[in-house]
Amino acid sequence: MLHYLIMCRSLTYAQRAVRALAHVGISAFVMKAPAYAVSGGCAYCVRIPENRMTNALGALKSAGLQPGRVFIQTNDGLYREAQPNA
Amino acid sequence: MHKSRREGMIYLDSAATSLQKPAEVGKAMFRAVRTMASPGRGGHAAAMRAAEMAFRCRSEIAELFNIDNPEQVVFTMNATHGLNIAIHDMVSPGDRVVVSGYEHNSVIRALHMCGANIDVAESPLFEPDAAVQIFREKLTGAKAAVVCHVSNVFGYILPIGQIAKLCEWEGVPLLIDASQSAGCIPIDFGALGAEYIAMPGHKGLLGPQGTGVLLCRNLPRPLLAGGTGSESKNIEMPEYLPDRLEAGTHNIPGIAGLFEGVRWVRKKTERSILAHEQALLNDFASRLQNIEGAEMFLSPERELQTGVLSFRLREMDCETLASVLAEKQVAVRAGYHCAPIAHKTAGTIEHGTVRVSFSPFNTRYEIITVLERMKISMKKA
Repeated sequence: MLHYLIMCRSLTYAQRAVRALAHVGISAFVMKAPAYAVSGGCAYCVRIPENRMTNALGALKSAGLQPGRVFIQTNDGLYREAQPNA
Repeated sequence: MHKSRREGMIYLDSAATSLQKPAEVGKAMFRAVRTMASPGRGGHAAAMRAAEMAFRCRSEIAELFNIDNPEQVVFTMNATHGLNIAIHDMVSPGDRVVVSGYEHNSVIRALHMCGANIDVAESPLFEPDAAVQIFREKLTGAKAAVVCHVSNVFGYILPIGQIAKLCEWEGVPLLIDASQSAGCIPIDFGALGAEYIAMPGHKGLLGPQGTGVLLCRNLPRPLLAGGTGSESKNIEMPEYLPDRLEAGTHNIPGIAGLFEGVRWVRKKTERSILAHEQALLNDFASRLQNIEGAEMFLSPERELQTGVLSFRLREMDCETLASVLAEKQVAVRAGYHCAPIAHKTAGTIEHGTVRVSFSPFNTRYEIITVLERMKISMKKA
């Protein structure tokens, strides 16, 4: 299954996001962000199944969490930046 | 309870460090040493287990102090570390800073190091109205206020809510030292409106030594700089919490232990812990007053005092008494308790006091035993 990566400003922020998503039944997890997805150095992101992304963005907004850049996995396993609809 | 208590030893020095901890504290630390690396230092399982532990602990502490955002919970080495972060952020040389007459050296020395003009709002022991009045007089024009919630020497519960309101009214940022209240008095960070609250992990929160917490309202200047596992290409510390204040590798075994300590406190509730400790204090005080020459610093209104009691004996120097009791397997603290200002305020600066401080694990039987051992020691002396 394809998935999205939401970049987060910090590990703790990413953990907050995962908790907020779990609260509405969306299974997501924290992982280290791919190097090409971040400009400032090490960062963490939240991985979300493609089919839950719209709901996830809504849940994050409701929790007062601002998502960073979003990437989507392509069929070759790499990621490209995406603009998902909230 | 963890089996750390030596045979026959009675530990009444929890205001310094709680020795008896819930059994889960030690187990969690052992598990962390064996299975956890460091949060923010990788994406592998050992690092992510550590990250999860740190977040769970932050969240548990946030719940305890009624904080919505666990990012405002910063791990420190101890209360002193947190107080230093806050003081270095709030105070510049020459600034007038109002403190209570019961502050610990962790506040006074840090302020002195910053070149602060320390303005002591001295008020008599167990007179909260007088404390509020002196703060009302001194706060206007002050750069900051630093106030302990509870005196480590006398267990005096200062009127922190009223002082916080005065600070808010005067626009003076407030730093609260909750070293003696965290874990035994409910604290609502949001309602108090303080800029910072600092506390140790190893006293009332029942965590291990080497842990502490700083609750932050805003984004302070960092005291330490270094690796955070985030924004590594940036030469500046990150502009967000908790990373901004958590340079270097975390004490994950300590945090794992602290998590279990805080969980235990939340389950037990602070109110029941305080009630237990106050009951022990009342029992101890009622028996101590039968010893000739004993002078206690006891509040006439019991709700103004935690389970901490200072006393002295006419017939015996306080350090001598503590040594004699130590030989009889009773652990108490004597001297100035790193708070000379508190002794100056209470009039005990010349010789200090003996302090007993109770924990949730002390029992009435232990109180009776201590007093018996004290009586025997005095007869022999």
